[in-house]
Amino acid sequence: MKNVIAVLSFLLLTSLTNYGALAEERLITEGGQTTATLRNGPIDEEASPPKMSKVENNDIKRKRAYPMQPPTIPHKIDGYQVDLKVNTCMSCHSRKRTAESQAPMVSVTHYMDREGNFLADVSPRRYFCEQCHVTQAATKPLIGNDFIDIDQLINNDSPKSH
Amino acid sequence: MKSSRRDFIKANAIATAAAAAGMSAPVSASNLVATDNKLKWAKAPCRFCGTGCSMNVATRDNRVVATHGDIKSPVNKGLACVKGYFLSKVMYGEDRLQQPLLRMTDGKYDKHGEFTPISWDAAFDIMEEKFKATLKEKGPRGVGMFGSGQWTVWEGYAAAKLFKAGFLSNNIDPNARHCMASAVVGFMRTFGIDEPMGCYDDFEHADAFVLWGSNMAEMHPILWTRLTDRRLSNPHVKVCVMSTYEHRSFELADIPVIFNPQSDLAILNYIANYIIQNDGVNTDFVDKHVNFRRGNTDIGYGLRPENPLEQEAANSDKAGGSQPMSFEEFAKFVSDYDAKKTTEISGVPEKQLIEMAKLYADPKTKVMSLWTMGVNQHTRGVWVNNMIYNLHLLTGKISTPGNSPFSLTGQPSACGTAREVGTFSHRLPADMVVNNPEHRKIAEQKWKLPADVIPGWVGSHAVQQNRDLKDGKINAYWVQVNNNVQAAPNLNEETLPGYRNPDNFIVVSDAYPTVTAQAADLILPTAMWVEKEGAYGNAERRTQFWHQMVDAPGEARSDLWQIVEFSKRFTTDEVWPADILNANPEFKGKTLFDVLYANGQVDKYPLSDIAEGNRNQESEELGFYLQKGLFEEYASFGRGKAHDLADFDTYHEERGLRWPVVEGKETRWRYKEGSDPYARAGTDFDFYGKPDGKAVIFALPFEPAPEMPDEEYDLWLSTGRVLEHWHSGSMTQRVPELHKAFPNAVVYMHPSDARKRKLRRGDEVRVISRRGEIKTRVETRGRNKPPVGLVFVPWFDASQLINKVTLDATDPLSKQTDFKKCAIKIERA
Amino acid sequence: MLKIIKRYWLTISSPSKYYSLGFLSLGGFVMGIIFWGGFNTGMELTNTETFCTSCHENIYEELQSTIHFTNRSGVRAICSSCHVPHEWTDKIARKMQASKEVWAWVTGTINTPEKFEARRRTLAENEWHRLKANDSLECRNCHEFEYMDFTWQSERAAQQHSTALMSGEKTCIDCHKGIAHKLPDMTGVEGF
Repeated sequence: MKNVIAVLSFLLLTSLTNYGALAEERLITEGGQTTATLRNGPIDEEASPPKMSKVENNDIKRKRAYPMQPPTIPHKIDGYQVDLKVNTCMSCHSRKRTAESQAPMVSVTHYMDREGNFLADVSPRRYFCEQCHVTQAATKPLIGNDFIDIDQLINNDSPKSH
Repeated sequence: MKSSRRDFIKANAIATAAAAAGMSAPVSASNLVATDNKLKWAKAPCRFCGTGCSMNVATRDNRVVATHGDIKSPVNKGLACVKGYFLSKVMYGEDRLQQPLLRMTDGKYDKHGEFTPISWDAAFDIMEEKFKATLKEKGPRGVGMFGSGQWTVWEGYAAAKLFKAGFLSNNIDPNARHCMASAVVGFMRTFGIDEPMGCYDDFEHADAFVLWGSNMAEMHPILWTRLTDRRLSNPHVKVCVMSTYEHRSFELADIPVIFNPQSDLAILNYIANYIIQNDGVNTDFVDKHVNFRRGNTDIGYGLRPENPLEQEAANSDKAGGSQPMSFEEFAKFVSDYDAKKTTEISGVPEKQLIEMAKLYADPKTKVMSLWTMGVNQHTRGVWVNNMIYNLHLLTGKISTPGNSPFSLTGQPSACGTAREVGTFSHRLPADMVVNNPEHRKIAEQKWKLPADVIPGWVGSHAVQQNRDLKDGKINAYWVQVNNNVQAAPNLNEETLPGYRNPDNFIVVSDAYPTVTAQAADLILPTAMWVEKEGAYGNAERRTQFWHQMVDAPGEARSDLWQIVEFSKRFTTDEVWPADILNANPEFKGKTLFDVLYANGQVDKYPLSDIAEGNRNQESEELGFYLQKGLFEEYASFGRGKAHDLADFDTYHEERGLRWPVVEGKETRWRYKEGSDPYARAGTDFDFYGKPDGKAVIFALPFEPAPEMPDEEYDLWLSTGRVLEHWHSGSMTQRVPELHKAFPNAVVYMHPSDARKRKLRRGDEVRVISRRGEIKTRVETRGRNKPPVGLVFVPWFDASQLINKVTLDATDPLSKQTDFKKCAIKIERA
Repeated sequence: MLKIIKRYWLTISSPSKYYSLGFLSLGGFVMGIIFWGGFNTGMELTNTETFCTSCHENIYEELQSTIHFTNRSGVRAICSSCHVPHEWTDKIARKMQASKEVWAWVTGTINTPEKFEARRRTLAENEWHRLKANDSLECRNCHEFEYMDFTWQSERAAQQHSTALMSGEKTCIDCHKGIAHKLPDMTGVEGF
C-alpha cells in the first residue's frame, strides 16, 4: 500500500511539474515575444502549416549571388527523369540540343573529369543535376539575409569615378 | 531602459539595411580595368555533412562574398553540393545573435522572464552562480553539457577537459550520439578501434556498391558524384540500394531493394548464410584473422527502466555480452535464415536476395558497403554494423582498395571531434574510456593533473541527459553547437519538461535563435565557421584546418572562447575534493583556466606562430596561440598509438591528411600490411585493435522493433533529411535560395494510403503518435516514394517539430535513438 | 426424351413455321442487341484500368505520381485513353493485334518486373511509332491543338506549340515521351 501511495504521489507530482513547464512555455511567448524566428510560435503548440507553394515557372534567369553559384532552375521539373536510363534535363541543356531548345548549355566545367581533363560529353560525376541546381518555390524567405554582393563592396571601396 | 530582444534585432536589421543602402550608390557602367577586383581566397572544410569537402572561401572587407568547391581537394575536386555553394550566406541571416540574452524580470534573472540583452560579464556571473550552486548541492553529477560533432577539434577538446578534468563530471555528450554512436560501438566491438579502415579512394576501385540504409544522393551528394562517376564510367559496376522507401539514390540502382523496417537484420544473416552455403568464404582469411562470438540477445530498447519492454528484456543490463563460438556453430546459427524465412520477414523477393548475396559471395567482385542513419538510428544499430562487417570478414573483402565496409558520417567533425577527441560521456582521447583506470591515468599524466582526478563513472548520454533534466538530477546544463530541442526524440514528454523544469538553468550557445535557444534561460551569441580558426575530421579520417577569415558580428564569440573564459570563474578549491588538493597542494587556489589551459603546454606557442595575415580573436585576447597549444597537447595522446596526427602547421598547408600520419605519410587502408605502418610484418592483415590481432564475427539474430504499427497507429514513420537543408535547418533555412528550394516539411505518403484516408496532395493533416503530434501537409509526388504502410517526414522544419512524434527508444549498446521507426496515424487536421 | 430433342430441332431448322415473322425479326433484333452489347461490354471490360493493371501493375504504380493521374481539373487518363484507339474500327484493329499480347500473357513474356524492364524500350518504341504514325491521335483526343489557348500556357510551351506543333513539323509524341510512366534507356533516341 505504501508503495502504491508513493507511486501515485510521484505520478501526481511529475504530471504537475510537466503541466507547469508547458503552461509556462505559453506565457513566455505571450505579447508577441517569440524567440525562435523559424518557428515563430510557442514550442508546445502546433500552428497550421503554410499552403504548398508552386514552383516559379517563368524561364527568367536569376542573378547569381557570385559567379561560381550554380544557377537556380527557373522552371518546373515535375516528373523529369534522371536515372540510369535517361537524363531528361540534357534533352534541352546538352551541347547538341541547345540549338533546337534555345536553353542554356551546361557550363564547360561539366565536361571535366576528376583530374580536370575535358571529356567528349558531360562528365558522369555531374550526372545528377539536382545536387547543385534547384527550383525555387514562389514563396517568401522566412527571414532576411544580410549577405552583401561583391559589387556593392567594391563600389563602396573605390572612389566614385563618375 | 530595458530593450527586448526583438527591439534589439530590429535595430540591428535597420543598421545593416542602412549600411547596405549607403553602399548601393548608383553603379556606374562596369569598368573592369579601373575597379579593384581583388578577393582574398582561403580554404576551409564545408560546414555541413561528414563528407568533408574542401571549399574555397572568398573574403573582402571582413565579409564572406563567395564560396565554391576546392579544385585541389582530393575529396571533392572542385565540386560542392547546393548547400556548399551557398555557404557564403549561412552566416548572414538577419536575426544573427549578437549579444548574450538572459530571461529577466525587473532586472533580475527569472526563469519565467523575457529574454533581455546583457553583457558577457553578467552572463558569466549568472552562469557561475548557477553552476557553483549545483556543484555544491549535487556534486559533479548535477552539471552537464551537450556538445556536438560540429565543434572544432579544439573546442571539443577544451570542453571535454573542462568537464572531465575541471568539474570532474563525465556528464558531457555530443549530438553525435544521435548520429554515429552505433557505428562507434560497432567498430569497437568488431575491431577494437574506431573509424573506417578504408577511405574515399575505395569509390574509384569497387565493382559493387551496397547502400544499407543511406540516401547518399541527398545526404552525401559529393560522395554520390564519385559513386556515380564510377558506375556510369564502368558498366560492369553494380549499385544495390536498400531502404524502407524509395528515394533519390534509387535513380542509380541496378538492384533496388525495399525491405520491411527492422528486417535488415534478417537479410544480413541470409547473405552470411548464402556466402557459407555457396563456397564464398575466404577460409584462409577467416582462419588467420577472425574470431567468432555469439552476442547476447533480448537486450531491450534503451527506454526508461520502468517501461514494460525493459522489464521484460532478459539481458538489458548485459547487452554487450558475448561468448566465443566456432565457425561451424556460426554457420549453423545463420542457416536458420534461408530464403523463405528471410522473404517472409523482409518482404524482399528471393531473386533480389540472391542478386545481393552474389555481390558479396563472388570473390572477384570488390564490394563497398555504405551506410548512415538507416543503420545507426536503429534499436539494433550496433548489431547491424557488426553484421555488415561479418560479410566483409567472411569473404576477406576488407582493407584493400575497393573492398570496404564504410560507415558514413552525418556531421563535419563527428569523427574528428566527437569520436577522436572523445567528447562522449564514456570516452577520453584516442579511443580511451573513463571507466578504465589505466586510461584515466594516461590522461591525467598528459594533462599534468593530480592522480585520480578524472572520475571513473560513465556520464549520462544524450537521451539520458534529457531524462535527468526532467527528473531534476542535472540542474545546470550547457548546450553548444546543436539544436537538441528540435533533434532529440519525444520532445513533449522528455526534453521540454526537462528544459523548463524550474530547478534547472539551461545555457544555449548558438549563432541563431533556434527552438533550443527559445527553451533556454541564457543564450550566448556564438561565432561560426570561418569567424574562428578551426579543425574538422571527416569520415575517411581526414583532418582539415582553416583560419579565421572574418570577425563574428557584434559580441558573438566562439564556443572555444566561451569555454576558456568560463573556466576562469572557478578555482580548484571550489570544485575539486579536498583530499586531492591536500595530496597535491600546488594545485590549491588555482583557477581551472590555470590548471587546464595555462598549464605550460596549451599556452606555450606564441602569437607569432599564427600564419601571417590571419586573424585569431581568442589567441589575440589571451596572448598565446590557444588553438595550436590545444591541438598539440591533444595530438600527443594519439602519436605512437595508431592515431598519429601531423603537426599543427602542416594542416594549415595541406588539404587534410588521413590519420595515422606516420613520418609525414597519411594512411589510406588500415590493418593491411604495407599500407598501414601499424600492421605488423608478416601478418598480411593485422586487426591490432584486438589483443590477438583478430577481428570478430558476431552471431546476432533478428529481433523486432519496440513499436510497430497496429490497428490504431497503423503506419510506420521514418524521419530524416533532405538535400537542401542540413539537420535542423538553422543555417540553411536562412539562405533564401535553399528555403525556396524546399520551403516546408511535408509528409510523403503512398497515393493509395492517402486515398484510403480520403486525403489528397496538399491536405493539412495531423501526424499523431502515442507521444505527440504535428500538423503538416500531404505529399504524394516528388523525390520520396514510400511503400503502402510507411510515411516519411523530414525534420529540418522548426515549425513542424516531428520529434514530438518520435520514440525515445535507443540501441541499448550505443544509446543512439531510432528515428526511423515508430507507429503513427494520420488524420485530417 | 428423343421427342423433345426432335421438336427443338424442327423449330430451329425452320423457325418461321413455328413463329410469326414479326416475332422473329423482333427477337433477332433483341438478340442482336444482347450479342452486340455483350461484345462491346467485353471490349469495354478489356479497356478498364483493373483489367490492364492485372498484368501491368508496376506501370500503374508509376502512373500514380504523374499529371495524367491526378491534376487540377480531375480529368484523368486511364491506360486505354492513350493506348487504345477511340474510333470503333481502329479499336477493333488494335484489339485484334492484342490477341498477340494474349499469347505473350500465356507464355509470360513480361510477367515479372525484370522481364518487363528488359522489354521496356521495345514496348515504348511500339507506342511511339504508333502515335507518330497516327499524328498522336490518342493525345489529341483530349488535347486538341485547335482549342489550345497559348496565353494560358507557360511561355516555353506556348513557343513550342505555336511553332513546331502548328507547322506540323512535330507531333505531340515527338516531345512528350515518358509523361505517364518512366522512360526506357533512351540511348540513341532522337532528342535525347
